[in-house]
Amino acid sequence: MSAVTDLLQQVVEGLGSGAVYASLALALVLIHRFTGIVNFAQGELAMLSTYVAWQLVASGMPFWLALPVTLAVSFAGGMLVERIVIRPVQGAPELTVVIVTVGLFIFVNALAGLIWSFTVKDFPQPFPDGGLDLAGVRVDWSTLGIIGVVAVVMGVLYLLFQHTSIGLVMRAVACNPASARLSGIWVGRVLMLGWGLAATVGAVSGVLVAPVLFLEPNMMGGVLIYAFAAATLGGFDSPVGAVVGGLFVGVAETLTGAYVGVIGADLKVGVPLVIILAVLLVRPQGLFGRAAVERA
Amino acid sequence: MNTITAALGTDRARRPRAALTVLLAAAAAVGAPFYFAPFQVFQLTMVLLYAVALAGLNLLVGFGGQISLGHGAFFAAGAYTAAVMLDRYDTGHLATLPAAAAGCFLLGLGFGVPALRLRGLYLALVTLSFAVFLPPLLKRLEPVTGGSMGLTVDKLQPPAWSGLAEDQWTYFVVLAVTVVALLLARNLLRSRVGRALLAVRDNESAAEVMGVRLSLHKTLAFAWSAMFAGVAGCLYTWVIGFVSPDSFSFVLSITLLAGLVVGGLASLYGPLLGAAFVMYVPSVSQDVSEAAPGVVFGLLIITVMFVAPTGLAGLPGRVLGAVSRRLPRTTAALDRTPEADSVPETDSVPEADSVPEAEPKSPAGSRPATTLTPADPAVVDAEPVGAPPRTEKE
Amino acid sequence: MSEPTTDRTEAEASAEPDFLKVSGLHAGYGQARVLQGLDFSVARGEVCAILGPNGAGKTTTLRALSGMVRGRGSVTLNGTELLGRSPEQAARLGVAHVPEGRGTFNDLTVEENLRIGAHLRTGPRWRGRPERAAVAADLERIYDYFPKLRQRSRQAAGSLSGGEQQMLAIGRALMLRPSLLLLDEPSLGLAPLVTRELFEIVRAVNEEERTTVVVVEQNAQLALDIAHRAHVLEAGRLVLSGPAQQIREDGQVAEVYLGVSVRSRKAG
Repeated sequence: MSAVTDLLQQVVEGLGSGAVYASLALALVLIHRFTGIVNFAQGELAMLSTYVAWQLVASGMPFWLALPVTLAVSFAGGMLVERIVIRPVQGAPELTVVIVTVGLFIFVNALAGLIWSFTVKDFPQPFPDGGLDLAGVRVDWSTLGIIGVVAVVMGVLYLLFQHTSIGLVMRAVACNPASARLSGIWVGRVLMLGWGLAATVGAVSGVLVAPVLFLEPNMMGGVLIYAFAAATLGGFDSPVGAVVGGLFVGVAETLTGAYVGVIGADLKVGVPLVIILAVLLVRPQGLFGRAAVERA
Repeated sequence: MNTITAALGTDRARRPRAALTVLLAAAAAVGAPFYFAPFQVFQLTMVLLYAVALAGLNLLVGFGGQISLGHGAFFAAGAYTAAVMLDRYDTGHLATLPAAAAGCFLLGLGFGVPALRLRGLYLALVTLSFAVFLPPLLKRLEPVTGGSMGLTVDKLQPPAWSGLAEDQWTYFVVLAVTVVALLLARNLLRSRVGRALLAVRDNESAAEVMGVRLSLHKTLAFAWSAMFAGVAGCLYTWVIGFVSPDSFSFVLSITLLAGLVVGGLASLYGPLLGAAFVMYVPSVSQDVSEAAPGVVFGLLIITVMFVAPTGLAGLPGRVLGAVSRRLPRTTAALDRTPEADSVPETDSVPEADSVPEAEPKSPAGSRPATTLTPADPAVVDAEPVGAPPRTEKE
Repeated sequence: MSEPTTDRTEAEASAEPDFLKVSGLHAGYGQARVLQGLDFSVARGEVCAILGPNGAGKTTTLRALSGMVRGRGSVTLNGTELLGRSPEQAARLGVAHVPEGRGTFNDLTVEENLRIGAHLRTGPRWRGRPERAAVAADLERIYDYFPKLRQRSRQAAGSLSGGEQQMLAIGRALMLRPSLLLLDEPSLGLAPLVTRELFEIVRAVNEEERTTVVVVEQNAQLALDIAHRAHVLEAGRLVLSGPAQQIREDGQVAEVYLGVSVRSRKAG
């Protein structure tokens, strides 16, 4: 295998994991745009959704039926979380909100352990084995499948936001909730909807990554850090940025792990840390975000 | 600024009673190891050392208003400093304490500089990522840290003259360090540094205008806070005699912040209560299942944020405050009875559900002395509709 | 500035003198009580100006009417109690509030802003409200009032000038087909010429649509030109009420209560 094909091979694999990060980052960005909150529990909610999918498949449901059911459950769950956990602290100081989402993180993580135990579970690989051989670069069906599913999710979100009236209402609320209320929009309901959507998008990342990482309650901890890096890089206000950032972080991670001997596989988790720090110090609003993300 | 005196309790009138309380607490603290079984004494020792870490975190979060989700990393740094010194250089326990303190102070100073440019959420992101990164780093530095196997070192041994058992001696040593650390934290807050911190927390730009050297104080807050965590980590090594990367996962960082919040932010004895939580909630609920501590902890954190944002330490004050406010409110009501009576009361029932978003703000006036509310209730209420503050970007 | 306007007497609007009836209105934020008991009425189809110095409670009055702050007392619109309702509910009762600082949706295009304004009339697609055609017609009508908005219909609202944003905010409010339009400091931060244009449009809207308008203004001169009646607020109480023309002509009143000299302004 030549050096070039080897490099391309790494890039392809990076894009595969990057798509997963992009999906979770997108969930983070959705919630940040709607409520100005960074949801530290986003990864754990995704993990919980993945367990739902696992449970459905384990009880005999075919995967491609279990997936939409899981997404629907996640949507309802996300709405519930907004209503019960987040609404009471909406508008409270940032520290309060951060701590509430951290509390949710701990709670959901332990809840999954309580229900499904902390032993690792084998999650079914929904895509067939094998793959394509493109000029020496091997592209697994699973990699293609992950990228494809994430692309579909992005497409659906784009259509929803840009071409439906509910999408328009949601964008209006994200932009200026006070004026939205004055126009008669039930902002609370729209925020619930936003959390539901975010939970659904996050669930996609969990289900996609589970066959690779194996399912256990702490599965998403690492993924969350990569998603943070992706959202920070793209700009916490930009869905497009989340996707680009996710792919970039995925590729950067794979390449660093493969080519920088000092880093290796074990210290790869330092890559998002470096990216987050670098972005925040050099261009805090991220690549696609607007300036002045932080409040005065 | 009015919160300082309230938080520090310098009220002269209370002195005799405070002295009595301190005396009783001291007696209980000294008597405890002779009364309890060794394992319970060990648990108490752990509470004390967690309290040191929480007191440090409190300087940063409670008083400084900065969010750190990575304080476990400084704790780990202190613990490893002590363990490596004991393991490789055989320096004896006493020497490791100043080394861990100084090392973590410098480490915190180094972190404090970039932290300056990171507000709230972003600082939380960076510190959390660091906490996640640390265990693999510790594993990698195997020649020094012992890798995933960790390091086993000597615990504290009681000198022959003391006549104490190991657990009792350890307890007293940790108690001494804890008392010194808590007093130091208290004095720090009473000093110029502390007042500057509070001013910065309550209103950053106003503090800056008043000439508070913002960057210096924020960096120092980080350094002090890291130093306390490092000292706690060092004590941990003394008590446990073993360190490994997995003891210091990011869960530790999250648990520390959670404990502090449950105990009470910006309160002087909040860290002690919080430390008791960090220690006892897991060990009590562990009997139920492996996951129970997390379930209980998570629920507690959320509940505390909803009903008692000042934490357990603030609860008595809040209850008293609520009672005492009854009186002025009644007189105020009497003042305006003539007009009030002439007007039909239309707002009493519907307002509860008609303006739900405004709800979290309204109790602002009833929260004494916390970071969680700006000092001036009027500031909170100035924006009447509870819109997320971020979104009004022009 | 301009010639004295045509008489905007109460006669032309007095069919329902108590269309909006405010009685004993108290409101405030937390401990601060801003409004200390207001009583006034606005007839259907009338333009009512609320004037007064900074901090008098003008904005709070509007906010109480639209449910943005809680109030005590009574506010009825066409007989329906408004107090104790949320902004969402007030909008459903036909109250359109253009808040201070315009309140446009800056990430949305001009046309999307206007469509949001008509949100209540169209609603979700599956309910298939019959008003779709009417909304499309209204959109054209707004563009006729504000031709600049038509030119920029596909631009993001955030890219508009201040005056255009104010026009958009008013246009968005009108898309609700409000029975009561609340305007908070429409002249804030705008150039005098732009303000003039804006107020003329408000007058035209009022005349053609018979929309009842309550406008809060620091610029008393401008507001009095388009208003039928005016109320002067000071420290949360009404200190003066009367037909706009009368207040406009009584220069002394203006000087005492408004801190502006109407006459000298007119001369200059």
